Amino acid sequence: MILRTAALYLAVFICVLLALSVGAYAFVEREYASLMGPALGTPEAAAGMTSAMRHVVATIATIDLPLVLVFGLASYALARAAIAPVEAARERERIFASDAAHELRTPLAAIASVAQASRATAPPESRAAFEEIARTALDASEIVSGLLTLARDPRPGVLQCEPVDLAGVVTACVRDLNGAASAHGVRVETQPGSAIVDGDERRLRQLAANLAENALRYARTTVRISSLQTPRGCELIVEDDGAGIPEAERERVFARFYRRERDGTGNGLGLAIVRWIALAHRGTVTVREASLGGASFVVTLPQHPDV
Amino acid sequence: MMRILVIEDNPSIADAIRQMLEGQKLAANVVGDGEAGLDHLLRQSYDAAIVDVMLPGMDGFAVARSARAEGVQTPILMLTARDGVEDRVKGLDCGADDYLVKPFVEEELVARLRAILRRGDRPVVAAIDVGKLHVDIGARSAAYDGKRIEFGATEFRLLELLARNAGIALSRAQILERIWDYDFDGSSNIVDVYVSQLRRKLKKFGGGSIIETVWGVGYRLTT
Repeated sequence: MILRTAALYLAVFICVLLALSVGAYAFVEREYASLMGPALGTPEAAAGMTSAMRHVVATIATIDLPLVLVFGLASYALARAAIAPVEAARERERIFASDAAHELRTPLAAIASVAQASRATAPPESRAAFEEIARTALDASEIVSGLLTLARDPRPGVLQCEPVDLAGVVTACVRDLNGAASAHGVRVETQPGSAIVDGDERRLRQLAANLAENALRYARTTVRISSLQTPRGCELIVEDDGAGIPEAERERVFARFYRRERDGTGNGLGLAIVRWIALAHRGTVTVREASLGGASFVVTLPQHPDV
Repeated sequence: MMRILVIEDNPSIADAIRQMLEGQKLAANVVGDGEAGLDHLLRQSYDAAIVDVMLPGMDGFAVARSARAEGVQTPILMLTARDGVEDRVKGLDCGADDYLVKPFVEEELVARLRAILRRGDRPVVAAIDVGKLHVDIGARSAAYDGKRIEFGATEFRLLELLARNAGIALSRAQILERIWDYDFDGSSNIVDVYVSQLRRKLKKFGGGSIIETVWGVGYRLTT
């Protein structure tokens, strides 16, 4: 980041310097010619002019080269002075987010683990209550994680990238989903086509899981999860055969804490996190009408450069 | 009865973990700080250890690193309230076997613990040497011709798999199944992408040709 900014400063300076040097050369040449006047016609004068101009070029070069050197150092120092505080602020923000998560999760972990451990020994009538306490603490922790994710800029720098095949992400997602799907009485279809991206596998699985969970909530009978390689890039598509999303609502569904149904399901962060993950991978997510009749979420990510 | 060492400073969580383990017929020994925990790991034999990252005094990373440096092979499950990528990687680099974020679901803790306990049954291979290639499994690092090369987590697992099967050609399907756990029909180029990354890194140290393409089969690490 610092080097890139410094290079930019230096490039601008070199352009200006080059223009000035060419200008100076042209000016000296014109002055020389007008001084010599008609005498310039003789071969001796022309040779004299050539050697004089050569001298001018040498002079300009001896002035320019040290200037470029000095400015090169100066632009590095300037870029450092300009960028370092920004990077330091980002780092402080990262540490704060991480510390805050830790402080919030520790008590939630105590609640969740004590409640879970007490289930076994609790009298039957309070077992459900312990379950509920544990689940709520786990949900709260999920919201903490989600908010901390959304609080950071979606840049590739926050990801742990390596080549990932979206087909693998889709298969893992379907495997994890099967239990929940049969509980909803929904069939999961899958078409995993190989599509390799430079991505953070953990994040991409989270993206697929959030989209799948959302689709499951609205599907009537079927959810279809697929991946494929297209000329536009690598696509991960999650479709359902529910009521679909009206055109006017399609952008809003990605806003944090936006819920389509006030039925208390979901924490309102799932699709916001989907968009965050897509953006961090330099990708996009859009909603269309699915061929199944419901909503179709299409995530498009750039293909891995080595493929 | 299997014995599990629990190094956790929060008494409520420590006690809950002890109850969960006892429910699984596992004996738990709870220690509240890093130094004492390390001392237990060094002096006594446990089947596995659950180690919290944030501990007073010596943290969980340091406990795992010191234990591994002393040759302790006990499987370690790290427990942390942070889910940052840096922590995850750091935990595994310190020699932990797995990593679980707090708060956790009891079933997941048990499943992860069972998985590392099974791993503990396997004969421990600390390092594999194939020609000039040195793969240190415990420390998850590799070197070629004595020079350390940085590999990503998946790259390392692929290198380890090839090294464990040095001289034997592995098919793309075998590699896919073992490293990625992908069970979809159809083809994926992911193996080739990783092999070219491995080759590129090895090439810088003169080992560009140690991974051979076996035509019609897959890949092989030359001995």
